[in-house]
Amino acid sequence: MSEWTTASGGRDALAGKIPVTLITGFLGAGKTTLISKLVRHPDMDRVAVVINEIGEIGIDNDLVKMSTESVSLLANGCLCCSVRTDLQDTLRELFGDRRAGVIPDFDRVIIETTGLADPGPVIQTLSSDTMLGAHYRLDGVVTLVDAVNARDQLAQQPEAQQQIALADRIFITKSDLVPAASVEELMAEIAAVNTRADIRRCTKGELHTRDLIGLGLQSERAGPDTLRFLGERVAREDQAAGEEGAYLAGRLPGRHHPSVRNLSLRFEAPFTWPAFSAAMELLISLRGQDMLRVKGIVNVEGRPVVVQGVGHVFHPPVTLDRWPSEDQGTRIVFITRNIDADKIKALFQVVGGLGSAA
Amino acid sequence: MNKPDLTTLRPRADQPMAHNMKLISHNELQGFGGMGEGIAMQLADDGRRILWMAHESAPKNFTGVDVTDPKNPRVIVQTELPHMKVRSNSLDVVGNIMVVASQVKELGAKPAGLNIYDISKPEEPRLLSHFDCSGPYSRGVHAVWFVDGKTVHISSGAPDFQPRNPKDDQIYRIIDISDPTKPYEKGRWWYPGTREGDVAPPPPRLPAQFDTGFRAHNTNVFPQRPDRAYVGYIDGGAIVLDIGNPADIKMVSHWNHSPPFNGFTHTVLPLFERNLWIVSDECVQDDGKDWPKLVWVVDSRTDANPLPIGTFPAPPYDTFAKRGGRFGAHNLHENLPVPCSFRSETLFIGTFFNAGVRVYDTSNPYQVQEVAYYVPPTPALSSRGAVQLNDVYVDERKLVYTVDRFSGGLYILEMNV
Repeated sequence: MSEWTTASGGRDALAGKIPVTLITGFLGAGKTTLISKLVRHPDMDRVAVVINEIGEIGIDNDLVKMSTESVSLLANGCLCCSVRTDLQDTLRELFGDRRAGVIPDFDRVIIETTGLADPGPVIQTLSSDTMLGAHYRLDGVVTLVDAVNARDQLAQQPEAQQQIALADRIFITKSDLVPAASVEELMAEIAAVNTRADIRRCTKGELHTRDLIGLGLQSERAGPDTLRFLGERVAREDQAAGEEGAYLAGRLPGRHHPSVRNLSLRFEAPFTWPAFSAAMELLISLRGQDMLRVKGIVNVEGRPVVVQGVGHVFHPPVTLDRWPSEDQGTRIVFITRNIDADKIKALFQVVGGLGSAA
Repeated sequence: MNKPDLTTLRPRADQPMAHNMKLISHNELQGFGGMGEGIAMQLADDGRRILWMAHESAPKNFTGVDVTDPKNPRVIVQTELPHMKVRSNSLDVVGNIMVVASQVKELGAKPAGLNIYDISKPEEPRLLSHFDCSGPYSRGVHAVWFVDGKTVHISSGAPDFQPRNPKDDQIYRIIDISDPTKPYEKGRWWYPGTREGDVAPPPPRLPAQFDTGFRAHNTNVFPQRPDRAYVGYIDGGAIVLDIGNPADIKMVSHWNHSPPFNGFTHTVLPLFERNLWIVSDECVQDDGKDWPKLVWVVDSRTDANPLPIGTFPAPPYDTFAKRGGRFGAHNLHENLPVPCSFRSETLFIGTFFNAGVRVYDTSNPYQVQEVAYYVPPTPALSSRGAVQLNDVYVDERKLVYTVDRFSGGLYILEMNV
């Protein structure tokens, strides 16, 4: 920004953007069942659902109108869109058509990604496409995990681990088809891969819209939601389950995944932004492939700055209007593959120290 | 049930449209919901917030609504006009003083002028004085600007002003009301060549279908530059006047997009920290006949050469132009320097008749973004078949108050921006 300065009375960089939830899941985890029920839910008014194969969810009887072959309006106000060329174009067209008044308004987007697809590229699209980045924000990643096959998939497919590591919320499906103890063990394994995701159960695709939203940072204005986003004010039972899960997972023979690590780091000395970003860029350039998820709040010369990365894609940092709590220390959670916490900690300390001396 | 319409998903006029704005409440103002372009907020002595609104036409004069709880707005007073050929249209409030315009339909009729009220008891507005602007060529006062408690800047006729062309009947006048019981004129300015007897030649007119007159509309003066008046001069364009000496007012800047555009410059809103003006047109014809009516971003670094550098992205023509009534720009929230007014150098809120109320982020003035809108469904008893949002006011809590021109009354909204 040169001579055109943003004065008070400006805009919250996040609040006006359309939140996007990604639904990913293992093959056979029940995404189609879930989506076909979800789009008919009465609370899906003003939600646009982007689906790869619209034919599979059988909405013909619920159609009210259809503008083009790719966008349909259901009786409950839900917009169903099939992906025509690619997701990037689909999201651009959705925004443009709404702006042009060709399709009804919508307040959020839910995207169903296909089978084993790594959600990373979709997330990258949202941050790197300037038009999409200006109008949409990633709300969160919801991953469906199939209670019947998940443990084998986790053991055999690196993509499965990745989908769990990237998730903000995980739903275990088909838990009615396996013994309760087996579900407990699966939850423990999941918690070992991703300690901060919220793990819930879902049977026969029964989900409420509110289960899929409000996962991300929604505003520059700090408040209770900011802490929840940072994973610092989770419900007591969730936290207990997470801790117990991690404990159990370490003791389940042959079933844990020691390569994926959850590292919670804390730094007391404030960073300068050049020092912090230099340390992060160095880490990404050397080990970007092994960075699954980063989320935290950084003290940048006294100001609270929220950073988050999904895969090696980083969202623009968000400076909050104030600290969300008394704690003004830098807290960052890393989910990584085969990187020691000590090394990351040392990197940020050394580079941070150089930055402050400069 | 009828067969589903598979041809279009385009929203209809009877359906609300919303993006990042939420309706908190709606009040039809006791069945008299046809509102003009005067909205002001009073912080009453007892702590209540009273929203004052001028009506668009007779029989009602103005209405006061208690909006302390914006979810439950309550009409506390609604006043009558003396006859059906006069209207108020515009008002402003400073402290417990309210000034209200009075504009007549026929030249020479009365009351044509300015009414000054004491509203310290909001339920019982008390007329302190009437400043008469009536005359053989005058329709009285169309718009008022009053933010310092002492001076009212008006677009008005005058008893002694004879325009060469009857359409040029509103000039810029400065009225001193330091003593609200004894208002007097301190200065005036008109577009050179528009008064009978002027040395300057008459200005060339716009084509007949767009000729709406060389006359003042909004006449804004801000504390940052008390020696400047920012005037939308309708077909005369955007004009900045040096009013340092009210007895000798001089034009310092002039920018006019018409022709080739279709006239009616309405508001010139200066951004003092950024050397920009936000300039709005007014759409005055139904069914898109005077389209496009826009909001402009003008680089004002050089007085002698104001330069347009962008326009606000206009609402889509295909959705709105033919849905009923007017479609295009009109009033902006004007960063009023009063306690209960939202002020921003980057975010602007405007009304666009049937395209509703819209919010724009001008952080990058070359590439303005629309960040929110709300289009109410057609109000009950609407004469136009679509809403016609006419004016907007935003309070310091960022709540948006907008009014329909014919029957919808008051809509209170919050912005998620």
